[in-house]
Amino acid sequence: MKPLIVLIQASVVVLLIGAWELCDRVGAFDPSILPAPSAVAVALWSLLHSTVFIDDASDTIVRVISAFVIGAPIALATGFLMGENITVGRSLSPVFNLVLAVPQSIFLPIFALVLGLGFTEKLIFGITHVFFVVAISAMAAVSEVPHGQVVLARSFGAGKFRIYRSIYLPAMAPQIMTGLRLGLIFDIVGILLAEMYASRSGLGVLLLRWGEAYDVDKLMAATVLISVATIFVNEIMRIWEGRVGRWRHALEDR
Amino acid sequence: MTRRRIILIVIILGSWEAVCRFNIVVPLLLASPSEIIGALIQSWPEYLVALRFTVAEIAVALAVAWSLGIVTGTAAGMIPFLGAAIGPILVSLFAVPLITWYPLFMVWFGIGMTSKIVYAVVSGFFPIAINTMNGVRGLDHRYFLFGQAIGCSRRQVIFRILLPMAMPSIVSGLRIGTALIVIAVIVAEMLASLGGIGYVISYYRSIYATPHVYLGILFALACALLANWGLGILERRFMHWRELQIGDR
Amino acid sequence: MTSARPIVIETRGLGKIFSIDRAPIIALQDISFTVQEGGFVSLVGPSGCGKSTLLQMLAGLVPSTAGQVLVDGLILREPAPDKISVMFQDATLLPWKRVAENIEFPLEIGGMNAADRRDRAAAMLSLVGLTEFAARYPHELSGGMRQRISIARALAPDPRILLMDEPFGALDEQTRIKMGHELLRIWSRTGKTIFFITHSLTEALFLSDVVLVMSHRPGKIVDVIVAGLPRPRTYDIIGSAEFGAARNRIWKLISQDDDTDASEGMASL
Repeated sequence: MKPLIVLIQASVVVLLIGAWELCDRVGAFDPSILPAPSAVAVALWSLLHSTVFIDDASDTIVRVISAFVIGAPIALATGFLMGENITVGRSLSPVFNLVLAVPQSIFLPIFALVLGLGFTEKLIFGITHVFFVVAISAMAAVSEVPHGQVVLARSFGAGKFRIYRSIYLPAMAPQIMTGLRLGLIFDIVGILLAEMYASRSGLGVLLLRWGEAYDVDKLMAATVLISVATIFVNEIMRIWEGRVGRWRHALEDR
Repeated sequence: MTRRRIILIVIILGSWEAVCRFNIVVPLLLASPSEIIGALIQSWPEYLVALRFTVAEIAVALAVAWSLGIVTGTAAGMIPFLGAAIGPILVSLFAVPLITWYPLFMVWFGIGMTSKIVYAVVSGFFPIAINTMNGVRGLDHRYFLFGQAIGCSRRQVIFRILLPMAMPSIVSGLRIGTALIVIAVIVAEMLASLGGIGYVISYYRSIYATPHVYLGILFALACALLANWGLGILERRFMHWRELQIGDR
Repeated sequence: MTSARPIVIETRGLGKIFSIDRAPIIALQDISFTVQEGGFVSLVGPSGCGKSTLLQMLAGLVPSTAGQVLVDGLILREPAPDKISVMFQDATLLPWKRVAENIEFPLEIGGMNAADRRDRAAAMLSLVGLTEFAARYPHELSGGMRQRISIARALAPDPRILLMDEPFGALDEQTRIKMGHELLRIWSRTGKTIFFITHSLTEALFLSDVVLVMSHRPGKIVDVIVAGLPRPRTYDIIGSAEFGAARNRIWKLISQDDDTDASEGMASL
């Protein structure tokens, strides 16, 4: 069944693209509003070779990665602390949950108020997006640790580091992976939004500019490219998540 | 407990006011509660109009996303082939940063309500469809058999047994989807719009009227929290029996 | 057992083949038996031998690939809710409906008006002895109580035939024994025809007149045991010699069945 499904999915996609191309050629779609796939492909090709695009794309990627690299470890540590230490957990988690319940994107104008959105401001915006999700996931992950096993290990004289490595880590890993994946996704959304809102460089700006100029070929090409790239990153992280999840089942052994 | 809360709120507001009065934080960045109230008194008609605009967009987007999402999710859950075909696609597409599609939507639908509604519907659709699908899929086959055995028509099985049983999952999906829709509408308005709360916020930001910006954000927050609260009530109504599903002893 | 009561259920050469991907699975083969009006017939057999499939076919829920099911002499092709009620191991009560509403549900689908439904539900509740729980929700009740409600619901449309798929399988032993007694009491009061699937040889022999013994896949009827134990049944009958002999007979039949799998599936309580 599986290969048949993939085949059908693929053929549906091909058919749709073919129909789309045809509509554009025939004039059923206005090419200045909805460009033909061939035009999009051409635009995509030229974009990938354009230094301007590459520069802006790298700016965006740098921001995303920096926010993640800074935010994630701090969030993991905080979340871990919240999970392990009951007082910290009880005082901080309602705040964190409230923040997660509230849409962070809405606070963008406040960030922008200061001096427009420089690198630092965008970075902080991205970090806040990463931080809360990862922290809450880490905290939840701590509750996945089988305390019976920890007690048992300690009675055998296992050192703290050993316990962390062989019991805590595998038990926490799946939740943490999910948190990291979501954190990255939110990070990407946050950075792109900030760029679209008030920035001088980056993919977000390009998209908005092309939109205003009705430069649909490039706009569509870039939008599809970003979507595909994000899906790709997400799927890779999901595969990791799946692999990590498997250790856990082996560990539980029930 | 509530008296304690009130005292806490008063303290927070008080210190907030103090922080601003004594210029501990740059006035550009933080407006005091009194200034915000001032802005409200000054411009409330404008905010009211904006709210109407925003709420209208949210309402339409909710109606469309809820129906599309539930229908798609139910179909995908009931028909294994369909579910296997589009299920993974829905889950993968959920990761896409939909904000990047907004410029395209603006080209296609203008900067009025339509583009925002479309953007919001797309944002809210995925969690609703995915959660509905999972809720329907997870149902024990014996409920179907039971329905058929007592003489239910196909329609009756779907509406009287299947959907009510899947309600908890569906409502979780609705909750997430609704939150995403509200955010989508407001953020889109902030980027480019003819009206709405997001538009007002952006306008005041561009002229550095901090108290007005904060006021707008408070209204936006209110919309989000109100929607969330409303759905929380809906969720609770369907959750009281959640403990009992097939497989329980 | 000697009176010539009319035959209510008959299967003739019933078979079922499932074709999944490439390997077709022969679930049931050449099943033929009859059930008399008012009789209590049990079906025992190892796990996976197709008992549930057979029951679903008797209910008209699953079509046969060979042979037929006849109810009252007519070929059964689809569910007959006015004649047949089905009960599963899980009570399949609708969790958002109150107990009374659950019992009324099949009647509602059947088109009965509200007042009649309420009366009927109340009568059924008193039959199973749970009248005080009419306004409760299923999740507030214990497993045994839920099964009793499920019985009440199954009896509400006043069917002549009750098909039960391991209804007490999820209950602990004490409750199981109690439910067995309950069921016999209700059976003697209402005179329904009961077809009862179980894993437990003891339960089968204790409750029924006739025990059909099924082999493991492809499921065939290997024997029909008519133990001839006296009624009304009391629990000490389980200690009797005839009971032991009958049970051993069934056990041998089942364990003879080639694989070790077969005997593993049986709970010899």
